[in-house]
Amino acid sequence: MSLMTIYHLVAIFLLAAGIFGIAYRRTLVGIVLGIELMLNGAGLSIMASAQLTPAPNELGQVGALLVMGVAAAEATLLLAILLVVLKRFKHVEADKLITMRG
Amino acid sequence: MDNLAYENLAWAVLIGHIAIIVAGGFITVLAQSLVRALMGLILTLFGVAGLFFLMAAPFIGLMQLLIYVGAVSVLIFFAIMLTNAWPGGDESGKKSGRQMVFALLAALAPVVLLGSAALRTAPPSVLIPEETEVQELGRFLMEPYILPFELISLLLTVAMAGAVILGFERRKKR
Repeated sequence: MSLMTIYHLVAIFLLAAGIFGIAYRRTLVGIVLGIELMLNGAGLSIMASAQLTPAPNELGQVGALLVMGVAAAEATLLLAILLVVLKRFKHVEADKLITMRG
Repeated sequence: MDNLAYENLAWAVLIGHIAIIVAGGFITVLAQSLVRALMGLILTLFGVAGLFFLMAAPFIGLMQLLIYVGAVSVLIFFAIMLTNAWPGGDESGKKSGRQMVFALLAALAPVVLLGSAALRTAPPSVLIPEETEVQELGRFLMEPYILPFELISLLLTVAMAGAVILGFERRKKR
């Protein structure tokens, strides 16, 4: 097993943990935690693919940075959405949010 | 120390960080309290930052610590504090076994597909990665990859503006 495969397996574990969290958690905050896990796995996978192969190193590092930027933007927006949901429904349980009009 | 000792040390560091990541991942998805789950997520983020350092990319590792551990975790902590996150809150209570089984199936599908693909088609990898200077990284970002750079700044601006607008709407209705 090559070194890159080990890193990729760790990234796949993070992806699987994130999907499990999204399906298993009950509140929106728990789902956000799962999404963050998956994004981290994506960054790790991009990074390993560039650093541990003859591909240009800058490509992977810039890719990981862009993933971090997307994650930061996403976390900001999710906090705002969560505030609005909490204001309108008084709870953030995903299974009970079944109407879009509030 | 000779070369072999360095190599053993590197493997020990790698396996230790992978153990940290796995433990943090399990805590994140299985902890009853959301604050504990967030601590598990932070543990995972530290582990991933360690792997970045191990891949000879200290700049990205530091950015991971600054952006994820420093900023995103604090945002999520705000979200947790605003909701019913105490041990008897929304997240606790009996979860049905059926939900657990479905969640496991959903998580196993990508493991089987992507895992087999990663094992079958892995190219030979470089054992000792080279370090890239931050200067080169900046040049790469400003010359060939200027468009993604500008797009990510646009995305951040739009996300901030959207967050502010959502917040204002909330205040107007009160």
